[in-house]
Amino acid sequence: MTEEEKIKQELEQKFGFLKDTIAIKRKGRMFFDVPSEKFDEVFAYAVKQMHFDAICAITGMDIVDRYAIMYHLNRQGSIVLNLRIYTGKDNPVIKTVTLFFPGAEMYEREMMDLLGIKVEGLPEGGRYPLPDNWPKDEHPLRKDWKAGASKKENQNA
Amino acid sequence: MHDPGEVKITIGPQHPALKEPESFLLSLHGEKITASSVRLGYNHRGIEKACEDRTYVQDLYLVERVCGICSHSHSTCFVQAVEEIAGIEIPARASYLRTLISELERIHSHLLWLGVAGHEIGFDTLLMYTWRDREAVMDVLAAITGNRVNYGMNTIGGVRRDITPQHKEMVLKAIDILEERTKYYIELGLGESTLLKRLSGVGKLTNEDVVRLGAVGPTARASGWGRDVRKDDPYAAYAHLDFKVITNDQCDVYGRTLVRLGELMEAYSMVRQILQKMPDGPIAVKAPRKIPAGEAVSRYEAPRGEDFHYVRSNGTDKPDRVKVRAPTLANVQAVSKMLEGGYLADMSIVVAAIDPCFSCTDRLISVCDEDTQKKNTVSWESIRLKGIDWYKNQGIDFTYLNKKLARKF
Amino acid sequence: MANAIFNILVFPGFLFLFVFGFIAEYVDRKLYARFQNRVGPPWFQPFADFVKLISKQKIVPDEADVAVFKLVPIFALTASITAVLYIPVWGNKAIYSFNGDIIVVLYLLTIPTFAYFLGGWYSRSVYSMIGAVRSLTQIFAYEVPLFLCMLGPALLADTWSLSGMVAFYNQHPGYWLCNLLGFAVALISLLGKLEKVPFDIPEAETEIVAGAFTEYSGRYLALLRMALNVELVVGASLLAAVFLPFGFNLNPAAVFPLYIIQVFFIIAIVSFLRTLFARLRLDQMINFCWKYLAPLAFVQVVINLILKGILPR
Repeated sequence: MTEEEKIKQELEQKFGFLKDTIAIKRKGRMFFDVPSEKFDEVFAYAVKQMHFDAICAITGMDIVDRYAIMYHLNRQGSIVLNLRIYTGKDNPVIKTVTLFFPGAEMYEREMMDLLGIKVEGLPEGGRYPLPDNWPKDEHPLRKDWKAGASKKENQNA
Repeated sequence: MHDPGEVKITIGPQHPALKEPESFLLSLHGEKITASSVRLGYNHRGIEKACEDRTYVQDLYLVERVCGICSHSHSTCFVQAVEEIAGIEIPARASYLRTLISELERIHSHLLWLGVAGHEIGFDTLLMYTWRDREAVMDVLAAITGNRVNYGMNTIGGVRRDITPQHKEMVLKAIDILEERTKYYIELGLGESTLLKRLSGVGKLTNEDVVRLGAVGPTARASGWGRDVRKDDPYAAYAHLDFKVITNDQCDVYGRTLVRLGELMEAYSMVRQILQKMPDGPIAVKAPRKIPAGEAVSRYEAPRGEDFHYVRSNGTDKPDRVKVRAPTLANVQAVSKMLEGGYLADMSIVVAAIDPCFSCTDRLISVCDEDTQKKNTVSWESIRLKGIDWYKNQGIDFTYLNKKLARKF
Repeated sequence: MANAIFNILVFPGFLFLFVFGFIAEYVDRKLYARFQNRVGPPWFQPFADFVKLISKQKIVPDEADVAVFKLVPIFALTASITAVLYIPVWGNKAIYSFNGDIIVVLYLLTIPTFAYFLGGWYSRSVYSMIGAVRSLTQIFAYEVPLFLCMLGPALLADTWSLSGMVAFYNQHPGYWLCNLLGFAVALISLLGKLEKVPFDIPEAETEIVAGAFTEYSGRYLALLRMALNVELVVGASLLAAVFLPFGFNLNPAAVFPLYIIQVFFIIAIVSFLRTLFARLRLDQMINFCWKYLAPLAFVQVVINLILKGILPR
């Protein structure tokens, strides 16, 4: 049994709801969705018990009717575990993972700026990567945002 | 101000120590740094958004322009993800060629870094020497790909240019010269006292902090954290090559210098192996214009550390989402830690020691439409001759020096 | 009177130093470039830079103390030019000479550094102020070794006048060899005084932009740069007079080229030294000066005190 399959088995044993959702795309690449209410549990387990000790990135995506947030965890440099959670478009909120990875702050701030997803538990801080005078309600990575369409942007320029 | 002796000083966004716009706010007590904060984002160009409006092939060239120095890193990382989604196997020769360019790029990037580091600590001689030597590898890259940076080597399904026996010879010759020069720099780095004084013990980052803050690349490897995507998660032809992951336990800027110098030596040996082992065959396979729906994560060991791309496709000829995580973004958070309790004088070298590439980090403005099709093509030689004439008219004659240089190389 | 005006304005004063300063800067830059395997500037580059700066817009920061800001370059320049009047340039005798003029020269050479400090401090920019404080801190490091190593040759010659020292060493060729240790210390201290690598801490480009000169522009910057050049020439002349007295007792017209060669020799050593090192940190520099330079200068004084008793006069 490969290491990927072991990880899959362990996760499925621990969390019954993950059964048959974990996809091993190729060596070292695992993708699965996690219900957002169970996310804390699964994430903490993967980091603390399964030694996924590094986070490659956090990707926020605009998928038609909701936002998806994908956490790319990494173990021993070789296996990337991609956990995805979803949040509604009306009030997109996720919890911070900076308790596990202080270095993830930038990825979360980027998501706040570019997708307008609120991150709970992240201390107040400067913006990244948009300028300070960028309008608060415009988030470039949302699918309904088009470059050059923003009048406010031009006013501020 | 609570502390009457406290001075706040901003370094950047425009400052001679920084080659790209980025802002550091430092609180100083005398010469000591008591607090620091970083403001990023001055180079935000909206590349991730722009990628969504372009086809995969267009994106390939856009992604290549994320960064000027590690352009091949980003384009390879992106193209790997796209090929994985489409299920394309690239020919062996193509993967060797990608590896060759990526190692040559590493050589050019590390030499560039060495020069910048020298400049940051006021050792301009090192800058002049390394940048002179760097020309050798730049010439090789220009000969193989047609460009000194932004090589345009990758295409979906392989590479665009093959190398000839003459190129091979040229590469080997340049590598020989550079290897000798690098040995000299290693000797210099181990012996020169002011260099040692300025580098060792500066910008400490412990192994635990590396893990906690998620530093990558030479920054992490200099703190004994031996992660290298080339070894851990081999891509392209790295699985067939024999190389060591260079680590160091110094945990300071000096360690980072030694790691980079060591990596240079490894890169030379790798380039030789690549040229020796490179199989014959086609250099590309035909790729479909539309990529089936799917997603892939691609990782690549750029000169600065792990480069990370996530691509999500939706079955059309344009990607749904492209995420780029450049190595500097992972490292920049460790900088505040390294600056703590340090001296103002060390600030520039500490920042430089992660080999920051802020344009990589910020990648994302609406890209202006540019007319890339030039009507008049000017040959390389005619530009060169024009330059020589121009300088001659200014009273500067390089003829003698050129001859001398030609003799040396 | 006319003679005095000629001395101050033409030779060896303003005009001479002005031209010589440009040549010195050119020699320094060219050698520095060649040591670094670069082509280096053409001979007229320093002059071209000067003319260009003169014609550029001059900006005085709003918060700066305007009077001090504008006067600083002139202070610096005047002090260096005054100092040269006491240094033997034409022949073995300086224009003005009295017993104790070496101390006057050393103090006159301190004034430019204070001028840079004032200019930086009253620019009211963070970079300038840090640079200003650094140059003042640096004074405490190099000034003592520099003064001490001048003391050695003076003790041996038993005079406090520069012209007297030159005369003494010309009469006793070979005695200058006793001062070689002092010469080495003086050269390193001179690097500190001229704020060149490895002691260019006050104007460390990659840390504090240009230190005390950050806010200067246009003709003020041109004058400041000229003051630096003149300081380089005067500093090198002082070292040449004290440590390299090869004038013999030739007539002045023959001694003058020798003097020029000596100055260029010292400038060449300075440019060579600055290609070799990285910039030290302020604390490292002060450590180095007090741990090594000052004791070495003391050793020179002790050696000369002993030799004074042994050597025939």
